[in-house]
Amino acid sequence: MKTRKIEMGFTEPDMTPMIDIVFQLLTFFMIAINFENTKADERVKLPRDMLAKPPEVKPEHELVLNFGYERDKKGVRTPNQAPTVFYNEKHVEVAQLTPDLEQEKRVMEAMHGKDVVAKATVLIRADSEVPTGLVQQLIKKCQDNGFTKFSLRATSEE
Amino acid sequence: MKLAKPSSLSKVEIPMAPMIDIVFQLLIFFMLNLKIVAPEGNFNINLPVSAPSNAQQDVSLPDIKVGLRSDRDGNLTQLTLGGNNLGNDNAAFNRLNAEILKIIGRPMNPLTKDIEVEIDADFECQYKYIVKAISRCTGRFDPQTQQISRYVEKIKFAPPHQPKGG
Repeated sequence: MKTRKIEMGFTEPDMTPMIDIVFQLLTFFMIAINFENTKADERVKLPRDMLAKPPEVKPEHELVLNFGYERDKKGVRTPNQAPTVFYNEKHVEVAQLTPDLEQEKRVMEAMHGKDVVAKATVLIRADSEVPTGLVQQLIKKCQDNGFTKFSLRATSEE
Repeated sequence: MKLAKPSSLSKVEIPMAPMIDIVFQLLIFFMLNLKIVAPEGNFNINLPVSAPSNAQQDVSLPDIKVGLRSDRDGNLTQLTLGGNNLGNDNAAFNRLNAEILKIIGRPMNPLTKDIEVEIDADFECQYKYIVKAISRCTGRFDPQTQQISRYVEKIKFAPPHQPKGG
């Protein structure tokens, strides 16, 4: 019986369509990526509201305060815990926040000059379930340290 | 003058393999770094350190007072505007929105620059209700035209209440 000889010549596969698609994907991911939200803490479940629109002008100096509960992966919070500010991997209760705010203020002043604190915006990312009184206390603490501009964060509802 | 003829017209193949390697590396980097997060927005409120100067303020326009009462767990029990009870459900917030519109006359009214809304909430009241109240005071989102009409821009907080029963 005769068998046909297989040709051993090497045929290159056509790469062009694959490269096209890969470039498309690359462009998509490059545009969709967002490095902005690095300070956002995912444990904080922000309140949702349709009127919360991303700001048109980003504040020049900002201090982000994440205020919420420790939550598990499903977003359920562990019972009987007081809400805390997530500050540099620490959990700080509002009443104990003053030293950290003072440190934040010193760093800001050292980096951008004396009057920066009055110009800086405090972005409050508070969990939707925290008691309002504590948010007010948090604002008060910031005011005591010279911050005057505040911005309350919410996710825009779809 | 003699021009040198190109010796052969055969194509020079560009090596594709290194480029594909790098492109894949980049692709994987961007894919792993992609985080899909819902866009976040702001409610800007200006809260300078308040000097006790309430008496000196020119009271040409009275402040609008929005009150939020809650039970110990922070659930809303009553939403008030001035002295009127508006209820405690979603419709209450819509009523608040309508009432605010009545007070300011029309959206974007230049008068609203001077009107302030004071939010007076119970200590325990959950923060989401406050954001909702602020939202209903600052404007309205029209689902048909996808436009936001702005109402009152100045929001302030009343001094915090004491927690119920410590």
